[in-house]
Amino acid sequence: MGPIITQLSESAIQLSGVTKAFAGHVAVSDLSLAIPRGSVFGLLGPNGAGKTTTLRMVMDILGADAGTIEILGRRADQSTRDRVGYMPEERGLYPRMVVEEQLAFFAALKGVPRAEALRRVGPWLERLGLADWRKRKLNELSKGMQQKVQFVATVLPDPEILILDEPLSGLDPVAAGAMRETLLDLSRQGKTLVLSSHQMETVERLCDSIALIDRGRLLLDGPVREVKARHGKNTVVLAFDGDGAFLAGLPGVQRVTDFGRYVEIRLAPGSDPQGILREAAARLRLSRFEIVEPSLHDIFVEAVTAHGVAAA
Amino acid sequence: MSRVFAVARREYLERVRSKAFLVSTILGPTLLAGLMILPILLTGQRGRPLRIAVLDESGALGPDVAQSLSRRQVAGQPRFLVEAAPAGPIAPTRADLQDKVVRGELDGYLFLSADALQRSAAEYYGRNVSNMMDLELMNKAVEEALVSRRLSGEGLDPERVRSLTRGVDLKRVRLTARGAREDRGASFILSLVLMTLLYTTLAVWGAAVMNSVIEEKTNRVVEVVVSSLSASRLFAGKLVGVGAAGLTQFTVWAVCLAAINAVGVASLGAMGRLPELSPFLLVAFVLFFLLGYFLYGSMYAAIGAAVNTAQEAQSLVFPVMMPLLASVVMYPMVLTAPDSTLSVALSLVPFFAPLLMFLRMIAVSPPVWQVALSMLLMLATIAGITWAAARIYRVGILMYGKRPTFPEIIRWVGRA
Repeated sequence: MGPIITQLSESAIQLSGVTKAFAGHVAVSDLSLAIPRGSVFGLLGPNGAGKTTTLRMVMDILGADAGTIEILGRRADQSTRDRVGYMPEERGLYPRMVVEEQLAFFAALKGVPRAEALRRVGPWLERLGLADWRKRKLNELSKGMQQKVQFVATVLPDPEILILDEPLSGLDPVAAGAMRETLLDLSRQGKTLVLSSHQMETVERLCDSIALIDRGRLLLDGPVREVKARHGKNTVVLAFDGDGAFLAGLPGVQRVTDFGRYVEIRLAPGSDPQGILREAAARLRLSRFEIVEPSLHDIFVEAVTAHGVAAA
Repeated sequence: MSRVFAVARREYLERVRSKAFLVSTILGPTLLAGLMILPILLTGQRGRPLRIAVLDESGALGPDVAQSLSRRQVAGQPRFLVEAAPAGPIAPTRADLQDKVVRGELDGYLFLSADALQRSAAEYYGRNVSNMMDLELMNKAVEEALVSRRLSGEGLDPERVRSLTRGVDLKRVRLTARGAREDRGASFILSLVLMTLLYTTLAVWGAAVMNSVIEEKTNRVVEVVVSSLSASRLFAGKLVGVGAAGLTQFTVWAVCLAAINAVGVASLGAMGRLPELSPFLLVAFVLFFLLGYFLYGSMYAAIGAAVNTAQEAQSLVFPVMMPLLASVVMYPMVLTAPDSTLSVALSLVPFFAPLLMFLRMIAVSPPVWQVALSMLLMLATIAGITWAAARIYRVGILMYGKRPTFPEIIRWVGRA
């Protein structure tokens, strides 16, 4: 195996200079990304950042105006599509179709023979607690159960890459927990997972690599640990009783984010957290003081500001 | 290819398993049978014969008229049961007969006045004087009796005169390459039935494709599907699947039509001849449905992709329906002059061909090259239309929000 092939095959998905515009509005601009094989990759950004458009181009639902997209080392075509499962943000199934028929149909679209698909239906439905609903029409199921069916439809063909747009939205906390477990399990099996979300905290814990995009542009990307390390341990978490309004005025404080039960204080580069501790201890009743890595949310806000495209 | 088949299979099963399909597939032939056979049976049904008395003031015409009336038959049965009027003075007898008619013992009585022969007149008094067919029959019977009487008065033999002045029975025989057969206007009825069937099925199944597209868009399922196979393949599978369901229904109807026709020809033979529906015509019938379906269905599908709801589709459907409607409007003209230059030209236009070329095939036997040419032109048009429709479809299925205008949709064709 030559070095070039090795390099290509390291990326599950590779975008190079991808651009897409709709009627004068640029949705994705010169986006280059490498999603490592076997990683859990978070594509993060606010609504309208261009996440869905990017994923649609990866699935060849939309054609890119410029740039190239490679999947598993090949230009996207029908054979690469079969190796990628896609669950769009706007979920969609056939309401009057029986669950197992539905699943067999979507598997057939990925080239899985009907008999084989029907064999796989049982274990998956069992696992998600839907075994009794196999022969029922979709519109007899609750919204949450329909979500699960949608997920099964995506994983049933056993694709190497799973692209899930807002995978946890619409799920109650228990179901979301179960979904996280299932996703980690798939990751352990060696699947590449691409999770797209505008709620950074929800996928932050799952992902080992991320890309932050805003207004069609890549702000930053890389392994989560690296991204955070790049920003240093310059955040203080403070929990206290009393009025903390003065905190924002302290020297060396860049920004204070109030989370209700605690505040996150972002420090300017080079300033000393000990100074903050002294001031706070003198004026407040502290119950927690911790120096931590910044949250992705914080990093995102910072990156947007640094790019000079302040949120409207 | 197996993926296109999967899409087609899903579409087909969803349509065929629906109640609407079952009802219309069974109801169609039932209505058809009713439409074709009932009128013929009904015109044969005229109830029991009329009981009639003949009151003769002239004293000489009575027996002749009574005999002439008794001879009249409808469907092998005597139409009039003639009773002799009681003898006696005219005025009380008339009153007596009038009573009987009112009481329902008689249906009516015929009064021949003393100068009936000179005036060539008679009077009928009945409970019902609007049964045109019976009265026409009665008129003829009386006329014949009076004319016979006058002829014999001139020393001529009425039988001989009748045979010399017999009217003409113009037999209408349609000649085709496959032989000759008599036709008493049933060709016209058949063409009407087949045209109506073609028109409605094309409109119904075109709309079915459109609704299927709109539904997938509303359910948002379309994005999941096109992440697995290209929009043009989905489009092809959908068109084929819905078309196969349409073809199933259409074939059931065509076979029923042939069966009804065969039964009709056998059982109603004497009363109203139905034209036989040749296998050749049936095959052409199904073929023109298919061609018409792909032509109109792909346009309907493109509209479905461009809109968000069925309501929004209405205004866009009209221009697509226009040629279909126009063919219906041109139907009488083409039927009257199926071989005129205009008819030939119109039947070659791909958008009119499904109805008008087929109509010409019922009316006359157009040259094979014309039929072949019309089919070739249709196939070429279908190729172009489906290509453009698939492009509109690809752009449209992911568009939500404001309904695009017609020019905007046309512009989508140029977009990759």
